[in-house]
Amino acid sequence: MTQDVEMKDHQTPSHSVSSAVPSTLQHLKEISSIIESGSYTKEIRRIARAVRLTMGLRRKLTANVLSAFLDFALVPGSDAHARLSPYLPKENEHDMEVDTATSAAQTPGKYLLPELEIYCYLLVLLFLIDQKKYDEAKACSSASIVRLKNLNRRTIDVLASRLYFYYSYSYELTGDLAQIRGNLLALHRIATLRHDELGQETLLNLLLRNYLHYNLYDQAEKLRSKAPRFEAHSNQQVYIVVGYLLAFTITILCMESLFCRYLLYLGKIRTIQLEYTDAKESLLQAARKAPVAARGFRIQCNKWAILVRLLLGEIPERTIFMQKGMEKALRPYFELTNAVRIGDLEMFRAVAEKFAGTFNADRTHNLIVRLRHNVIRTGLRNISISYSRISLADVAKKLGLDSANPVADAESIVAKAIRDDAIDATLDHANGWMVSKETGDIYSTNEPQIAFNSRIAFCLNMHNEAIRALRFPPNTHKEKESAEKRRERHQQEQELAKHIAEEDDDDF
Amino acid sequence: MDPKLTEVSQLFERFKAAITRKDYDSCTELLSHLKVLLTSFRSLPPLFENTPNSIHELTLARDIYEHAVLLSVKIEDQDAFERDFFQLKPYYTDAGSRLPPSPNEYMILGLNLLRLLVQNRIAEFHTELELLSSTALENPCIKHAVELEQSFMEGAYNRVLSAKQNVPNETYGYFMDLLAKTVRDEIAGCSEKAYDYLSLKDARQMLLYTSDKELLQYIEEEHPEWETKNGSVFFQKAKESVPCKEIPSLQLINQTLSYARELERIV
Repeated sequence: MTQDVEMKDHQTPSHSVSSAVPSTLQHLKEISSIIESGSYTKEIRRIARAVRLTMGLRRKLTANVLSAFLDFALVPGSDAHARLSPYLPKENEHDMEVDTATSAAQTPGKYLLPELEIYCYLLVLLFLIDQKKYDEAKACSSASIVRLKNLNRRTIDVLASRLYFYYSYSYELTGDLAQIRGNLLALHRIATLRHDELGQETLLNLLLRNYLHYNLYDQAEKLRSKAPRFEAHSNQQVYIVVGYLLAFTITILCMESLFCRYLLYLGKIRTIQLEYTDAKESLLQAARKAPVAARGFRIQCNKWAILVRLLLGEIPERTIFMQKGMEKALRPYFELTNAVRIGDLEMFRAVAEKFAGTFNADRTHNLIVRLRHNVIRTGLRNISISYSRISLADVAKKLGLDSANPVADAESIVAKAIRDDAIDATLDHANGWMVSKETGDIYSTNEPQIAFNSRIAFCLNMHNEAIRALRFPPNTHKEKESAEKRRERHQQEQELAKHIAEEDDDDF
Repeated sequence: MDPKLTEVSQLFERFKAAITRKDYDSCTELLSHLKVLLTSFRSLPPLFENTPNSIHELTLARDIYEHAVLLSVKIEDQDAFERDFFQLKPYYTDAGSRLPPSPNEYMILGLNLLRLLVQNRIAEFHTELELLSSTALENPCIKHAVELEQSFMEGAYNRVLSAKQNVPNETYGYFMDLLAKTVRDEIAGCSEKAYDYLSLKDARQMLLYTSDKELLQYIEEEHPEWETKNGSVFFQKAKESVPCKEIPSLQLINQTLSYARELERIV
């Protein structure tokens, strides 16, 4: 009797919920039929579509819906069912009875599609992560990985790559990333052997993320340089394929977002290893390619790009710091840039101290220490331009060098700057002077012509790259893009943005 | 106690005794013997098996490798240093959470940083630096190396040299001497570009020689293009970029042709 009363109590407030439940369940069932048909026809695009639809439903998943769906998709009492259902908390059971009935009506000896099973894993995992049950999520994802290792079907790849991601994500949330490194490496090997490109890319990114999480730049670079990469040609190939097959867009968008991420990791590695020019290129490319909605990701790209440009001796334009939604996050870097631009060591020190917390959190502290050298260089350049002759003691004072013997320091610093062609001057040791050289008429040399040529070359190269990366809207020559398709495309782009934003939300 | 473990410990004691005797030949011999014995322990990297003695074995192995690194500094063998250091590193990074911290850890990490600096492997230097926590960076041994790198990059060479006087540990001496040699070459390279001439006295001071004879010998060996006369050193300057007299026609033709080709592709 008491139970009955409870039931009634339950139903009244959850009226709106119970009306939503069937619809979500209905959606899930539709998705599962998409997966089924995708599996039978071996069409990856259907599976990809299913994954996309699922992400839309993510916020609506509840324990009830899920257990109902599990009963529907997996035969109750089967291995898979027994493995998955314990992860779901048992709550009010009244909805379930209905559905058990429906699933019981199905042919009992039904052959279970591996795609469906993996899909159920994905659903449960999503649910657990959203419910912040990270330990269960870890257990569930590990179980799914064990299962995945034994399945070799191309139609699973899309699902698998999502699972890999959440596998790593759940371990990251609990701070145990180091544990799964060996496993990820093994999975990467398997994916490579199976020519599962999506899996390979996903896993490579996860591994890089894993290494960088612990600042293991050396290992990350070793893996990166040895792992097969096909971005260079796949970028082109993929676009050609797109021309023919609209179907693959979502896979490509996934690839695109993976590539974006990869570029960020690559940029970080190169920055640490002092390959600033290459680092700048990949960081800027990552920032440019990232969708507008992925704010956290773009901020991170911009921060690193600013530092790399400073280290290269460039001063980033003011517009970079004024980008919409980023002013606040980039503020410390703006002040830093200002200090470097003026070449004032005192100010540089003050900024570095003031924002030490931010820089430590961004893990850019060591890079900022490296910048000191650039500050001195800029200061020196300013002095050399403004004075034709200045005593070394004054140079030391102007630079704000603090050491036991500032004049001797200044002398050797100036000497090195001269050797590195940072300034054009000579030293007079006997008198303790720095004498700037007369700047000759630069237009009488070949210099302008060389500069002009390099700019033209840059523009032409840019044009060629743009052509190569051009994405042709499918069938433009046949039909205009219908409203529906446009909507779908926008949705896909949003999806991509969310994809990238997902992880970074936690960082910022 | 495990007989194997006892054997290794005994051998290690003999090894340590040999080090204090400064009998480095027998040290190297004992060390290679020890390393072979260590391979039979299953708790050590890369297996990291959880055996009952694992903590003891790991600590012992770490001790052995630490001594190996220090030995390589004493016999001035940089390759051996690199090898031993890489063998030692997993004990700090991967097994660090299971073992009590070693008192020598920062000293050895600092040594390694110094080695990378001496060998001018700056990229690796920074990669290693990223692995250190902020507390590690405060440690005098590490700080010493980090400050050296900064002064070195800035060009404040006299700061590098004065750092030699206050080394945090006597083992640093070997690398500091090597660094002094590198610094001398750097100073020579810079002076060549920055000064028109220097008096012999100033040059001697700058290049850290005690007598003019040593200086002249150095000039003769390393920089025969320098000229010494009237008690001064004259540096031969490379000719400055002279105003362009003739038009580099071939280059221009090539460039213009390539523009034409690219433009054609666009239009």
